[in-house]
Amino acid sequence: MSAETRTGGLVAGAAAGDAAARHYHGGVVDDIMVVGVGGQGVIVAAAVIADTAMLHGGLDVKLSETRGMSQRGGSVSSHIRIGETVVAPSISPGEVDYLLAFESAEGLRATPSVVSGGVAIVNTQQIVPPLASQGDMSYPFDAAERMAQGDRRVIVVDGNGIAQEVGDLKVAGIVLVGALSTHLPFDVETWHAAIVRNVPPKWKDLNFTAFAAGREVGA
Amino acid sequence: MDTQLMLGNEAVARGAWEAGVQVAAAYPGTPSTEIVTNLARYDGVYAEWSTNEKVAYEVAFGAAMGGARALTAMKSAGGSVAADPLISSVYTGVNGGLVVCLAGDPGMASGMTEQDDRYFGRMSSMPMLEPADSQECYEYAKRAFAMSEEFDVPVMVRLSIQTAHQKSIVHFDGEVAAGEGAGPAGLTRPAPERRPPDRKTEKYCLLPKFSRPLHRSLLERVERLRQFAEASAASGDLAQVVPAAGPVLLQGGGAAKIGVVSAGAAYLSAREALPGAAFLKLGMIHPLPVEAIRAFAQTVDRLLVVEELEPYLEEQILAAGIACEGKQWFPQWGELTAVRVGQGFYAAGLDLPRWADEKAAEDATVIPRPPVLCTGCPHRGMATAMKKLNLDVHGDIGCYDLTTLPPVSHMHSAVEMGASIPMEQGFMRAGGSDTGSLAVIGDSTFLHSGLTGLLNAVHQRTNMTLLIQDNSITAMTGGQTNPGNERTLAGAETKPVDIAGICKALGVEQIEVVDPYDYEACLQALKAGLAYEGPAVIITNRPCMLFPRKIGGEAFTVDEDVCNACQQCMKLGCPSLSHMEAEHKGRHKVAIDEETCTGCSLCEQLCRPGAISKAKAGVA
Repeated sequence: MSAETRTGGLVAGAAAGDAAARHYHGGVVDDIMVVGVGGQGVIVAAAVIADTAMLHGGLDVKLSETRGMSQRGGSVSSHIRIGETVVAPSISPGEVDYLLAFESAEGLRATPSVVSGGVAIVNTQQIVPPLASQGDMSYPFDAAERMAQGDRRVIVVDGNGIAQEVGDLKVAGIVLVGALSTHLPFDVETWHAAIVRNVPPKWKDLNFTAFAAGREVGA
Repeated sequence: MDTQLMLGNEAVARGAWEAGVQVAAAYPGTPSTEIVTNLARYDGVYAEWSTNEKVAYEVAFGAAMGGARALTAMKSAGGSVAADPLISSVYTGVNGGLVVCLAGDPGMASGMTEQDDRYFGRMSSMPMLEPADSQECYEYAKRAFAMSEEFDVPVMVRLSIQTAHQKSIVHFDGEVAAGEGAGPAGLTRPAPERRPPDRKTEKYCLLPKFSRPLHRSLLERVERLRQFAEASAASGDLAQVVPAAGPVLLQGGGAAKIGVVSAGAAYLSAREALPGAAFLKLGMIHPLPVEAIRAFAQTVDRLLVVEELEPYLEEQILAAGIACEGKQWFPQWGELTAVRVGQGFYAAGLDLPRWADEKAAEDATVIPRPPVLCTGCPHRGMATAMKKLNLDVHGDIGCYDLTTLPPVSHMHSAVEMGASIPMEQGFMRAGGSDTGSLAVIGDSTFLHSGLTGLLNAVHQRTNMTLLIQDNSITAMTGGQTNPGNERTLAGAETKPVDIAGICKALGVEQIEVVDPYDYEACLQALKAGLAYEGPAVIITNRPCMLFPRKIGGEAFTVDEDVCNACQQCMKLGCPSLSHMEAEHKGRHKVAIDEETCTGCSLCEQLCRPGAISKAKAGVA
């Protein structure tokens, strides 16, 4: 995979000006952000994506893990950067090429970070935080519609519904990774190898099924 | 497999293991925790969760004196706790190599302050290496052991959260046999050689008679380390020059040769922000290779120093008579991300269209989602009861700090490990509060540095109340063991400490153990403790919901017809409670998410109209 094909495949749609400013030092970097709520499996999904890129070979990969007390129901996000040479581990604001949102409101929150023309895959799941019951701010039940108002391509996926169909709610994250995978130039075999590294062996086949189901709805 | 995507902390562990580390001791603390978590998984390493960072340091120090290679790891605040042995051990030096990993948290993702740990190196004269990515974490951990033994001094590997918690590719150098899979399982290494244990009074007994010559010998070692830093930088080893792609364009026309001096995470941000400039990337940051910096400065028109937090490098470079610019352009607080460095370069007059406009990272109109106490958390009942009694609450470091924020909002201080008890003692000596006050601490923090405070309070016959929220785990950092547990980090069986017994032994006469799921019992225990003349201790006895295993239970449900939207249950701040569409007198009624409810029953106890009951009973 050359830099040119990735420019076409991965950063397609990015405004020419933005891309030129960002990549003028030579290499192309693809920036993927995974967001959600603590406990949803964002970290495992990010690890699968990063491992796939690494196993693909010949690419530099950096992943910046969620900061803070992520296991306590707070917002979480992981940054994955893939390219010939990746320098900083974190994605800069407005430069996300692919957003994968496990939860609708978290998707909406992260939307300004997505580059003009970028792709946002958003799960239909909505988790209302306790604060929505206390203060003046209410939960954005129309998050997916609001995400689509800009010039990004928004793909809505019922990750939880599909996961339940294939057998277990636990694999919703891998359904979403499957949806994202259709936009990235890596072989299914490589994705499978990365999944195997990140899920317990007894869940392997179920995860492969979930991944395949995600691929059906990701494009 | 000779290549792996690794967390910075994992890579430190791998490097240390390859370097022959035999003893690792730490107290968990973000962002340093995973170093020892990972070392515990390697063959041939004794790894422990110590009671606190000072103890951990001393265990590692003793192991080094005994001839083994040893490592300790801590977060910034832990560095402060361990500062006494940290400074003294540089005087004595070591026998087996001793490596100290100190991980800072610029931006305070979870820290209480964003102190600049590099000053520990200068204050103690401990040499410091600062890796930028996981590859360097792996390499520098190995180098640190070699340097420690070569120079007879502990060596610090200084990390920041950006380095410790980034995953990047590590190429192993092939000295160790490859194993299966991604983890350390299956890896083997040659048995590390233990040096003969030291028995040298004049080296390890810091009496003035011995300390005075030890300080002079330390200064000689610092001079040798300075020469090492220069020689290493000159050969491009622990400092590298990255040549410029060309002159950097300036706003308003023209161009200049820009040189950037940086290290660690800040270096990656700076290179991301200004990829065309010349860089001097420092790997050894104490002592500084000042002559290498001077030589680099002579090749550029302007020298910019990019570093997180304090002007540590900048002041030393200026003191050496080298002109440079730093904190006038780059913030002295927070994590230096690429965009923040880029905006600094832009402010300095460089023409950088990528950073010219401020871009939003997120939609600020979306309701915030801060971390909260888990559903069923055993801290919730007492927090709500303390709020109800309107007490002045002097807290400590742990998950209960999450109740500082709405909706519970009951905590009035949370400063550092162990502070709750002495601060409450002082608060009472100042006259206390009209509504009553108390200290709140968790089991792990109590065992970390609460004991001496309680002993003092008892000895001084202080009239004060202490609540120990014993959830039997070090929860906030991810469920590490502590002396309250039946097993150690290594999985060995051990005797769990009796916290009530400790309090009794320290001289506390009023001790009450209470079930934190019983709201009325919580209220009564607090009232009894506050009424008692003298030191009183209340201990809660429910385990953490997450660690060591996730606890479930029978879910509750709300009868919509009975709920009168009184909002009493919403005071709990439980993530399984939310408002439903239906209203009563303009207020939303409440629903329980039965998928996540663990059946702690606190909401049922608070419900005035009796609308909440067990879900299964409702079906029947």
